[in-house]
Amino acid sequence: MVTLQQLIFKLSEFWTSRGCLLQQPLDIEMGAGTMHPETFLRVLGPDHWSVAYVQPSRRPADGRFGENPNRLFKHHQFQVILKPAPDEVQQLYLQSLEACGIDLRAHDVRFEEDNWESPTLGAWGIGWQVLFDGQEITQFTYFQQAGGVDLSPISVELTYGLERFAMALQDVDNVFELEWGAGVKYRDVRHRDEVEQSRYAFGQIEMPAAELHALHRNLFDLYYGLAGTLLRSGLVLPALDYCLKCSHMFNLLDSSGGIGVTERMAYILRVRGLAVAIAKAWVGESRPPASAEAEA
Amino acid sequence: MDRELLIEIGVEELPAAWLPGLTRQLGERLAARLKEYRLAPRAPIETYSTPRRLTVRLAKIAERQEDLEELVTGPPVSAAFNAAGEPTPAAVGFAKKQGVAVEDLGRASSSRGEYLTYLKRQRGRSALDTLPGVLGGVLRDLSFPKQMRWDATLDDGRGEFVFGRPIRWLLFLYGGRVVPFTVTRPPYAAGPLVQEVHSGALTYGHRFLATSGRAGRSIKVRSFDEYQARLKEHFVVLEHAERRDRIARDLEGHARRLGGRVALKEHQALIDEVADLVEFPGVVAGFFDPAFLGLPAEVLATTLVHHQHYFPVVSERGTLKEAFLAVVNTQPKDERPIARNAERVVTARLRDARFFWESDRRTPLESRLDRLHTLLFHKALGSYRDKAQRLETLAAWVASDAFGVPDAAGHAATAGRLAKADLTTDMVFEFPELQGTMGGIYAREEGRPEEVWKAIYHHYLPVAVEADAPPSSAALGPAAVTWGAVSLADKLDTVVGLLHAGERATGSRDPFGLRRQMHGIVRILMDLPELTGLDRELTIDSLASHAVQAFGATGEVAATVRGFALERVRYALEGRGFATELVRAVTATPDVSPLRARRVARALQGLRASEDFQALAVLFKRVKNIARELPEPADLDRDALTEPAERALLDALDARRPAVARAAAGADYTRALTEIAALRPVVDCFFTEVFVMADDARVRTARLTLMASLRDLILDLADISEIVPHTE
Repeated sequence: MVTLQQLIFKLSEFWTSRGCLLQQPLDIEMGAGTMHPETFLRVLGPDHWSVAYVQPSRRPADGRFGENPNRLFKHHQFQVILKPAPDEVQQLYLQSLEACGIDLRAHDVRFEEDNWESPTLGAWGIGWQVLFDGQEITQFTYFQQAGGVDLSPISVELTYGLERFAMALQDVDNVFELEWGAGVKYRDVRHRDEVEQSRYAFGQIEMPAAELHALHRNLFDLYYGLAGTLLRSGLVLPALDYCLKCSHMFNLLDSSGGIGVTERMAYILRVRGLAVAIAKAWVGESRPPASAEAEA
Repeated sequence: MDRELLIEIGVEELPAAWLPGLTRQLGERLAARLKEYRLAPRAPIETYSTPRRLTVRLAKIAERQEDLEELVTGPPVSAAFNAAGEPTPAAVGFAKKQGVAVEDLGRASSSRGEYLTYLKRQRGRSALDTLPGVLGGVLRDLSFPKQMRWDATLDDGRGEFVFGRPIRWLLFLYGGRVVPFTVTRPPYAAGPLVQEVHSGALTYGHRFLATSGRAGRSIKVRSFDEYQARLKEHFVVLEHAERRDRIARDLEGHARRLGGRVALKEHQALIDEVADLVEFPGVVAGFFDPAFLGLPAEVLATTLVHHQHYFPVVSERGTLKEAFLAVVNTQPKDERPIARNAERVVTARLRDARFFWESDRRTPLESRLDRLHTLLFHKALGSYRDKAQRLETLAAWVASDAFGVPDAAGHAATAGRLAKADLTTDMVFEFPELQGTMGGIYAREEGRPEEVWKAIYHHYLPVAVEADAPPSSAALGPAAVTWGAVSLADKLDTVVGLLHAGERATGSRDPFGLRRQMHGIVRILMDLPELTGLDRELTIDSLASHAVQAFGATGEVAATVRGFALERVRYALEGRGFATELVRAVTATPDVSPLRARRVARALQGLRASEDFQALAVLFKRVKNIARELPEPADLDRDALTEPAERALLDALDARRPAVARAAAGADYTRALTEIAALRPVVDCFFTEVFVMADDARVRTARLTLMASLRDLILDLADISEIVPHTE
């Protein structure tokens, strides 16, 4: 039995032994490990870089009050960035599965087309979902653009969905039944968090919906303004922090029903504008976004 | 001596949907490049593919390029020699440039006089020297639905080399020898982990399976036969057809053991797709909780088929069983470990679906309409709420006015109003391919009559123009008329609205699927009797000109719709096997009725070979040309026609016209055209005996008017001049 924490050890061990630096999660809410500066910024520019880290990923709309056996407000990604993408990357990836105890001959592991795109980050890539007996356990992407910038060299991103991967390894049908560590279930560690975060995400709090929406909008605007100011001050990394805050506020507005369809697009474009400006500033084409300046 | 050419492009997994097209392209591009390089194939080009390889083989190909002969033209002979017959500097210069003496030059005459020439011969290079250029060209030529940058370059001066997926090896053999070829890597990426790809005599087997040793080791081959045999040993079935047939056999065998069957015919496309997802197919059976069988069959099938590429197992009676079959890229000794994981995924998805199924039904479709406000249809055309409102009115009008079935208008209006309501359900949000279908099912659950729920259920159909494109009249049952009204209304609203908003389908760009929408309209109208039992030869124009009113649109839009519709009707008729000239003949007028066009085309097809008809078709061209001389339409001045031949034509027209009209009114176009063909002798005689352009203006006008009325009689059915047999 491979516990969730052992799985993290094994992946960390495997990838550090292949030359990856072991980084830590960013201490800010985000929807995916791609938004971590170790991915979003490091894939930009010419410098070679290899890194691995776990990133807790919050997706408010996926919250299910701890009642759904497969969906979570917050799940964990094990993120690997290899820049440039090695020729042997598929074999390396498959070896990492073997390192976690998978017998590749006894299972059906496949690379099926699934291109990745993040409109809020102005990022996209070509790749696959890796199916383990029909279950998606990893997103495998050759990045083509980030922050609207064409990348060269090309980085490869491997994103393991730790909960799903562990469920297959442990042969359990309910995420809350996973063994996190010996004798400690995922339920013991995370269930209360799922219930409470879901209630917040769906606006079940002591505040009328309209007021909550207004609060989130206000926070979005404040973070947005601050990100713009930081960017104008030439502080790229702090600016990214507040760009991520904006993105999270947008996700919360979305999950609590505070956003209409047309407005939705406008919010996405604002976050994207920030992300693009941050990417450009990082690679040296420093220029604050006109919109951020105007609205800040 | 002719030798074998074998190329295998080893790639990381290509999308299954691309393989058929890429395989075809590979053959075509290679043929084109070989032609360009003057290397003659002496055997057919064979192409193969799996997700990890694109392979092409030519059993025999020339050893050398064909020699090149080129005739180079020099100065005119008049300027090449002086009066004494000595070569001028112009002649000497030309000879020198070609590297020969003046005596070696030839002469050639053209319309402008005689010129000095030189026949330049270039000896063909060996195939081995030429083939790298061929492969380089082919690699550049292959086009992908989406291409990627992967830090690769080719040494052809064109810089970065984009492809569908990274290339990991190149097997490149000519007569068993390796043809040198290199994919280079730019300095900013190159290093110990990013290296050039050199062609070689190596291929690779299955990723995970090997009879001995570690899987994935390289295999050396010298010929195609050896290549195919070694791949087979290493668990790669090279031919798509063989993989597909194995899968079909395995599916049937597994289903039988489960006491059921797989609807192979219905799932033909899925079988073809999964055959391109694997190199060594096997089948694994999985099960789910029978309680999920309470979900609508459509939801179960979508979950299994569309999301997981699994095959549902049905009982002999055709009902779904609690089992599915998964095609996998291996033939495991023990199926259970794989099946367990597959079952986990299926169960999770079905559990979601059941949740949506239960929660969606708590909100009736009618009370979902307001939520459609938040869904934008098109920025110039408003939300889906606006569209629903237009559909309600238009569907009712189609039923009562266009179809002439006022009794169906009420149901059509209801179905039109509710048709888009399912866009707000969780089920459709999660399974977008179920839109329409889900709305129909929810309407049924609400107790709506069959005329309403089936109209909603099928209203996205048809999406193709073929005579057997779904839905069938059997599937529609008593809902056929309301379905026709709602489906037409939806498509008319979309096409007319989007064209009004300035959207167009151009070339390969058709982001709103306008062609598909128009195909739906054409198919319904063309097969209206078969689909709905209504025999009405409706024109697209008459429907569109009503639909434009909802947008306050102008006649300009109507004209755009007409042109677009005409093009699609022609496409549909050609798709049904009618010759191009027949199609042109029956679509000569812009306000075309697809049904009438289809029927007249059928009739013409039967008659066109008859001698009278052929002769009349030739004469008709003259009729059309001469009738054009009539300055303005006039009433026929009968008294001005006195010659026996013109009287005979006039009498024949008077006699036949009612019969033609009667036959056409009864949609008996064979009869109508036969009546017309019978005019041939009098028309023939008229042209022999009568000079139309008489000096007397009155006589001339009368004769031209006679020609015009003959033209109009025939043109009302078809422009038969289009089917004049070509004499050359």
